[in-house]
Amino acid sequence: MSGAALVVDDSVVNRRLLVRHLERLGLLTTEAENGREALEALRAPGADFDLVLLDVVMPELDGYATLEALKADPDLLHLPVLVVSGVEELDSVVRCIELGATDYLTKPINPRILEARVNASLAAKRLHDLEVEHLERQRALTATIDRQKTELSRFLSPAIASLISSDDGEGMLAGHRRMITVAFCDLRGFTSFAEGADPEELLGVLGEYHRMLGTSIVAHGGTLEHFAGDGVMIFFNDPVPQEDHVARAVRMTVEMRERFADLSAQWNKRGYQLGFGAGIAVGYATLGRIGFEGRHDYGAIGNVVIMASRLSSKAEANQILVSQRTQAMVEDLVEVEWVGELELKGMSRPVAAANVTRLR
Amino acid sequence: MSEPAALEVGVLDELCAAVDGDRDFVADLAETFLTDGARQLDELEAACTAGDAAAAVRPAHTLKSSSATVGGMSLAAAARQAEATARAGDVPTQELALMRGLWMPLVVALRSWIDNGGSG
Repeated sequence: MSGAALVVDDSVVNRRLLVRHLERLGLLTTEAENGREALEALRAPGADFDLVLLDVVMPELDGYATLEALKADPDLLHLPVLVVSGVEELDSVVRCIELGATDYLTKPINPRILEARVNASLAAKRLHDLEVEHLERQRALTATIDRQKTELSRFLSPAIASLISSDDGEGMLAGHRRMITVAFCDLRGFTSFAEGADPEELLGVLGEYHRMLGTSIVAHGGTLEHFAGDGVMIFFNDPVPQEDHVARAVRMTVEMRERFADLSAQWNKRGYQLGFGAGIAVGYATLGRIGFEGRHDYGAIGNVVIMASRLSSKAEANQILVSQRTQAMVEDLVEVEWVGELELKGMSRPVAAANVTRLR
Repeated sequence: MSEPAALEVGVLDELCAAVDGDRDFVADLAETFLTDGARQLDELEAACTAGDAAAAVRPAHTLKSSSATVGGMSLAAAARQAEATARAGDVPTQELALMRGLWMPLVVALRSWIDNGGSG
């Protein structure tokens, strides 16, 4: 048996005898003459005791007060305490156990009973130590996960960050097929602006624009797939299912257009002529992890993505072009003007498209 | 019931057995008791002289326990009485006198046991 025991007794005779018994059991011992000395020893830097043997009647600080102090100290609360008392003092033993003592021993000390009680106390202490260690490890792990989530949400859209942390995250990332609404938007006149502007100016304008977009994306629950300069792709209904995904996409884009008007008014004063254009399409896509080890994105692949992208390219400043199917799904929500059948790159047939003029 | 003996040698023998027959240790423990016991007895006397019953509890209690450990059963019994009297709020003057009377015979008996190599 190994462990460190603190023997607290004002009688040097009793103390020496107890120490002798404990050393025979293989324990390291420290002696204290009273409760005050005991607390000092237990709270000394580097102190690491596994067990306390405590006398009751002592000068300065008696056994009761010592127990109370131990139980009030979070660091010492779980330390097993064996009360050592005379056979005729069982009342005081009861009080000690009520105060939190683990067990008791009567004088004269029976070495075999001492051994059994010490063993039981040390086993309980070891179990508690393991529990504490386990909890600490778990706390550290949780802290790491929380930190990673925070980091992730800084780089990824909140929906994807929480998806990755969820129980079925792996399955979702592996790939699945779902109906989604895709919104693309980018800036008219951005290329010529980018060529002429200072890098600081360019990044400043992009920063304001992205901040504006970001607020709307989050407000409407969109999943940001990527930023590519002035171009942004957002989809809805994945990874978080959204019954009203088409309406959300349309509302978000209309809101972006309105807020863009405020931004561009300021930019115009600085001489930048930039316009907002967007395209929205609805359809099935395959979603999941796209990329290579070390650089994966959560992405969507499918005709719907290409359609939204092409519509966005065709949109003139302040236009939000939607496919016919999209228009049909939000008829009650929006007013549109039809722009006719558009020849879109990569599409075998012309596509009927409408510009969303306003929300009803 | 007979009076407790000044020294119950059986207690010391049991103690030896409990420490794997290490008689030297028990002899050393008895020596320690002789030094410490005298100090506790002085402390008890100081409390009685000062008329401080509360201060008498602890030395009486300690003597009760330590003298019983080394087999001083009559002293232990007197100390128990002294503790009870002191706890009741009375100064244990009579018990102290009795304990003083029991102290010397116990010292002699213990020293004899220590010097005698175990014949008791």
